Amino acid sequence: MTTHASPTEIAVDRADAKRMGFFTDTTVCIGCKACEVACKQWNDLPADGAQFVRGGSYDHTGALNAATWRHVRFVEVAEATPQAREDAAERLAAGAGGRLPQIPANGGRAASDGAPDLVSIAEAGANGGVDVAAAVAAMDEWVFMSDVCKHCTNAGCLDACPTGALIRTEFETVVLQPDVCNGCGYCVPACPFGVVARDHEDGRAAKCTLCYDRLQDGLEPACAKACPTDSIQFGAYDELVAIAARRVGELHARGIEGAYLYGAGDDPDEELAGGLGAFFLLTQPPESYGLPAQADSPIQENVVPATAAAFGAGLLAAAGAAAAFVLAGRRPLARGPRGLATRAAIRRWQR
Amino acid sequence: MSDGDERDVAPRSLHETPAPAAVDPSEEPPAASAEREARWVADHTSETRDASPALGTHGEPAAWQRAQPGAPVALQRDRWADAAWSFLYKHDTRYGDAPADLEAVAQANRRGRGGEIGPVHGPVINAPVWTWEVPLYFWFGGVAAGSSFVSLACDLGGDRRSAAIARKVALAAVLPAPPLLIADLGRPARFLNMLRIFKPRSPMNLGAWSLVAFSALAGSAVAADVLRRPRAGRAFGAANAVVGGYLGSYTGVLLATTAVPLWARSRLLLGPIFVCTAAATGAAATRLTLVAAGLPDGHPTRTALGNVEAGAMMTELTLATLNERRLGRAGRSLEEGTPGVLFQIGKWSVRAGLALRLARGPLGPRAHHLASLLYLGGGLAFRYAWVGAGRTSARDDEAVARMARGAVTVDDDRLGRRREPRLRSTLRRPLTRAGAVGAYTEAVRRASLLVERALGRSEPTPGAEGTGRSVDSGH
Repeated sequence: MTTHASPTEIAVDRADAKRMGFFTDTTVCIGCKACEVACKQWNDLPADGAQFVRGGSYDHTGALNAATWRHVRFVEVAEATPQAREDAAERLAAGAGGRLPQIPANGGRAASDGAPDLVSIAEAGANGGVDVAAAVAAMDEWVFMSDVCKHCTNAGCLDACPTGALIRTEFETVVLQPDVCNGCGYCVPACPFGVVARDHEDGRAAKCTLCYDRLQDGLEPACAKACPTDSIQFGAYDELVAIAARRVGELHARGIEGAYLYGAGDDPDEELAGGLGAFFLLTQPPESYGLPAQADSPIQENVVPATAAAFGAGLLAAAGAAAAFVLAGRRPLARGPRGLATRAAIRRWQR
Repeated sequence: MSDGDERDVAPRSLHETPAPAAVDPSEEPPAASAEREARWVADHTSETRDASPALGTHGEPAAWQRAQPGAPVALQRDRWADAAWSFLYKHDTRYGDAPADLEAVAQANRRGRGGEIGPVHGPVINAPVWTWEVPLYFWFGGVAAGSSFVSLACDLGGDRRSAAIARKVALAAVLPAPPLLIADLGRPARFLNMLRIFKPRSPMNLGAWSLVAFSALAGSAVAADVLRRPRAGRAFGAANAVVGGYLGSYTGVLLATTAVPLWARSRLLLGPIFVCTAAATGAAATRLTLVAAGLPDGHPTRTALGNVEAGAMMTELTLATLNERRLGRAGRSLEEGTPGVLFQIGKWSVRAGLALRLARGPLGPRAHHLASLLYLGGGLAFRYAWVGAGRTSARDDEAVARMARGAVTVDDDRLGRRREPRLRSTLRRPLTRAGAVGAYTEAVRRASLLVERALGRSEPTPGAEGTGRSVDSGH
């Protein structure tokens, strides 16, 4: 049987196992965060103190971290389009009431002065201040994406891990063994997707396991099970890629030309980290979702040239020091009484 | 009963809801992003955050035991049949009606990932979590490695007494390194796991092994010197200079093999820069020790040490400037905030040291001692600056996104085309799970857990120990 990851990397033998993965289709995601909740429940992950902040984003989770292994990113690019603004202005002029919808375009992280935030719109709407329907209609640029560990073919965290806590399982997923991890923190910056994080109270790194415990018993991961719109689909990797390719074709046929796959279906020399076990169907540039346009294991990219340069420099430095000493030993000492005193001092040192 | 009383109250109509009270200004988020970040951190510390999971421990999957060993899960079809592949979008829907055209998909991917770069909604990568111990360890490791170079050079130059002192300096400098490294771990009691496997592709693993080898060689060399076995001492010292070549440089490799733009983009120069700092601080520390031990002015060793520290620091300044030039946007984090200040302090310390050395004639030998101290301090500032700047760089979403873009489209000439990885996953060594190696890894894992339990930080739930056996991926 052929594997996608290197067969020498797969740490667990199981005859009937094959690569399993996620296909997350953002075009059907409704941002309900059921996957986040299901993940927290199944994996006993603690709350991370998230709260709605006035002027902030509806996405109160913020990012993947050690206690959040699924994160529904709200891409609030809801700065109303010119067309939507015109429509709303017309409705205003017609006496519909309310104000122009204006929602911070930067994910709510820095609400501009005077702009009403989403919470105020909702509150004002309840008091009849704003035409909520119009405001919602102008939010057609909202995009949701349920982010998760990518279970890369060339996994940076797996390469970095000095203890062997991170392993490749029989399902070709990347799993962190919590009984081995000593919290060195190297996997954290080694992940080009910002997935792995270290819990500041627990001390260990943690990330999605693709519900390794459920998989071993033939169950699908908790998030995929909970997803009400099947935005998260789980299955054998090869089947998922075929479905995703058909879905992209379907969306193109319906006129959504911007639909593409992030992490699957690439030409071999353009693959993201050798192909992602959990891949996505996106409609915006990857940076909108906080994803890099290209990524690979930083170790596989850099370790050979960096080590060659560094160790070479180390040997050069040792040689340079030796040369400096040999040269200094050959230099004649000063003549006269000062030179004699120096010579005597040197003889005393040498003894 | 208060419950009954509440039930009697008729629910208020939505339309009669009173206007919300005026917002207390203290409830508003702070305008400055730094303040918002500080508040987030404050809200997420143990005092205010209930981080106790309902069951088990955090950071790992739930632990549970089956009532009947080997029994199937009730109401589930076997082999992920319930999951395949969707419960909604069967073939009677128009979810994926079109035929799979892989060429069209590859083209769409190229368009999607290589098109116009929009606003970056970070965070893209996570910032390193290393604390103050790590740069300090880098500095001590550098001093130790530099001293090992010096001891070899002293031996080659024929100054046996200075060589023996340099070996003592190397041992003294490497002694604080392991405690610092252990203190930085999230689970310090499990430090032994660093030596659980030998994994050449992980610079941190090789670094841990090289630290062990260096400490052992340095200790043996000093012991041989003390026991009056000068030949053995010299041999251990020479071997240590080779190990020191890795110990002094791997820290640069460690930083370069991350996704942090500043570090990754400096991959060819970070190692050499760190080696220069190591050589200069090692030579400076040895020089000061030798002078304190009575090495006379005018001795070739003293002259040579002065030349080594100055030469190494000048090379480091040159390489750092060269690196800054080619970094472009990613180099900005070396200029901003605390790391920027530290970087400037380091640079000016080194420049002042070099100037003092040139002005040595009129100022006497004390000026040169001050120069050596300035190199040591400057080296420490460089270490803190490089590690701290990596944290800023990782938070610079624009820089991270642009580095990744550089791999797809050339929208920044400095970034260049995508680099082909030199070390593919396929080059991994086959697994060795059985035999002595497997027994060793399992023994280390158990020893770590024992140490942890002895120190009182044990697992609250039995059976929550992951796979419950030592498993490794090929290295």
